[in-house]
Amino acid sequence: MPFTVSPPPHIKAGVSVKSLMWSRFIVLLPVCLASIYLFGFPALGNLIAGVLGAVFIELAIQKTFKQRVTIGDGNAAYLGLLIALMVPPTVPFWMPFIAAVFGVGVVKHAFGGLGSYMFHPALAAWVFLKLSWTQTMVPASIPQLGGFSDLIIENGAGFLVDASPIAMIGVLYLIARKYIEWRIPLTYLLTTVLLVVLLGDPLSYVFTGSFLLGVFFIATETSTSPITRNGRLVYGIACGFLTVIYGYFTGNYIEGTFYGLLLANAISPLIERSTLPKPFGGVEA
Amino acid sequence: MSDVIKLDKLPEKAIIPLRQHDGIACAPLVKKGDEVIFGQKLGDCEGSDLAYVHSPFCGTVASIELMPNPSGKRILSVVLTPSECAQSVDFVPEKNASPSRLIELIKEAGIVEYYEKPTYLALKPGKRVDTLLMNATFPLITHAYLNSLDKVLKGFKLMLEAGGISRGAIIVRADDKESIKAFKNATFEGKPLTVAPIIGKRHADYYFEDSEDEILVLAAGKVTYTPTMMNLLSADVMGRKIPLGHGPADEHIVVCGVKSAKAVYDAIYEGKPYLENAVTVTGAVNNPRSVFVRFGTPIKDVIEACGGYKGEPGKLIVNGSRGGVAVYTDEAPVVKNTTGIVVQTKDEVLRDEAGACIHCARCVDVCPMNLLPTRIASYSDLGRYEECEQLYAMNCIECGACAVVCPSKRHLVQLIRYSKLQINNMCAAEARGGD
Repeated sequence: MPFTVSPPPHIKAGVSVKSLMWSRFIVLLPVCLASIYLFGFPALGNLIAGVLGAVFIELAIQKTFKQRVTIGDGNAAYLGLLIALMVPPTVPFWMPFIAAVFGVGVVKHAFGGLGSYMFHPALAAWVFLKLSWTQTMVPASIPQLGGFSDLIIENGAGFLVDASPIAMIGVLYLIARKYIEWRIPLTYLLTTVLLVVLLGDPLSYVFTGSFLLGVFFIATETSTSPITRNGRLVYGIACGFLTVIYGYFTGNYIEGTFYGLLLANAISPLIERSTLPKPFGGVEA
Repeated sequence: MSDVIKLDKLPEKAIIPLRQHDGIACAPLVKKGDEVIFGQKLGDCEGSDLAYVHSPFCGTVASIELMPNPSGKRILSVVLTPSECAQSVDFVPEKNASPSRLIELIKEAGIVEYYEKPTYLALKPGKRVDTLLMNATFPLITHAYLNSLDKVLKGFKLMLEAGGISRGAIIVRADDKESIKAFKNATFEGKPLTVAPIIGKRHADYYFEDSEDEILVLAAGKVTYTPTMMNLLSADVMGRKIPLGHGPADEHIVVCGVKSAKAVYDAIYEGKPYLENAVTVTGAVNNPRSVFVRFGTPIKDVIEACGGYKGEPGKLIVNGSRGGVAVYTDEAPVVKNTTGIVVQTKDEVLRDEAGACIHCARCVDVCPMNLLPTRIASYSDLGRYEECEQLYAMNCIECGACAVVCPSKRHLVQLIRYSKLQINNMCAAEARGGD
């Protein structure tokens, strides 16, 4: 009778890169629907363009360099969706497409592909758009920051993701399932809230869809955050600091979130190296 | 408890390896065609790390050759054709032996600990020892011995005497209700046993201070302490962490198993050598249960005693699905350090493809030794072993928890193990090259 021989362990947890990425993708879908409801077909066009651009460039690169095609793992589609959510609905549909091509093609694949990029592709793509088409990237309507109802449906939404911040509630399920690590979002949120209250800005300036997207999806991107336990706490605090520093002096916490996170990405390796854990039981004397 | 059976049916052939622990191999004392009786010594050896091999069967020696072994390698074994017989070696019980005589008897019986060390060596580490721990945190194995708990306790007492150790603690899992109940009902030397939980900083010392008892039962967490987890066992139970490169004996602790306690009882009170063991069979068999098996019985006979395979078997794993060895044939025998057999069906066999690390840090969160498995593995993959050493690769206990949770299905354990091998080689080369 033939038996399979393989190295241990012989049982593994069911979670895979594929399930991690697609679960994040699915959790973002309600907010996409809300933005389509508010902004109509332009929003739908942008979302599709973003996803298509990301998947297209990943396929093209992997075919050209004869690598294993990994569009099935959902990372490209997820990044494309993120990029499309971070633009205003008024932009022409080729802009999210170009941004996704830049994000996935240059920031992800030129840096080594999945797991190897040092800046979040969606953030870098957003900065790329912002620098290239500054005027177009300013939303036609900015969020009318006010009461709690803005968290449910934001009438004067800026970017697509600002349409309905509460639609991202599914992320709590991901945190409960440990698909998303709790340390970074918690420390990031607490630091931001604390600093904003201390500095005297109204909290409603901060709680926009873009900020929550940054807290729950962009800051928790595994490749661009430290892996050490303490490092993740420090990283969350650093994200909060950088966000508030930008937001407080410009008055724009949406851009503050994105620029702050980009800077936090840059210091993440430093944080990791300074928080290396000591092994259990100590080191040989 | 009720589901423990004794495998009495004789196998067609018995394969008795001449090396059944991680030590010196024995030289065969018999040759082809010899008649062997029950309990006869088959292998003799000289050196410090030895365990004699005895025959658990009557029969004829069919051959002495390299045979499959649950370790995955082929090992020189005595192949017997067992036959029914009542003839056995005269077993001489010695009830009032002195400690040094006890050690001698334990050595003679060829008793081996669950972590592959002969018991007589483990009990006398040559250092001051204040506590003997019995690791009863394998629930299924412990359950198999609950019927003969008094013998296990007497054996444990003998081990304390033999090692000259003043106190002993039996460690059970806190969620293993059945064993805890049995220990609560058990009496030792006319007195009921004290069962106490380990909470926070209340380690074994806390209970020993208040208690006159020589033996305590301690319920420690929900962890099964596998052979590599000595450090965790010592830290959780005694509050003593073992630094890298040291053993439990450096922290004045000796660890033994339930099986060896029972074997010591048999050796002293009945004069019998170490001949049989409880093996738990789980997974895709019709009647998963614990079976008392004589060493040398092929795995297929054990499976048969459990009602045979359920469905088409795909993988046969010896000693646990976390860190066990997948054997290529069910002809391989049960040996002294076999504790469990897991059968997986064809569909359950994993066929993963390793992908790139996404730095999700799941491995970091589960590592009991507080390491960074993904970083060590990546450096190992690149051949940068100095960096592995700086990240404390040598502290890895190879429990496999990191590889279980890895969403990219990387071979973390193997990569880290390889880096450890290379670090050892580098150290050896450095030692050869002078300073």
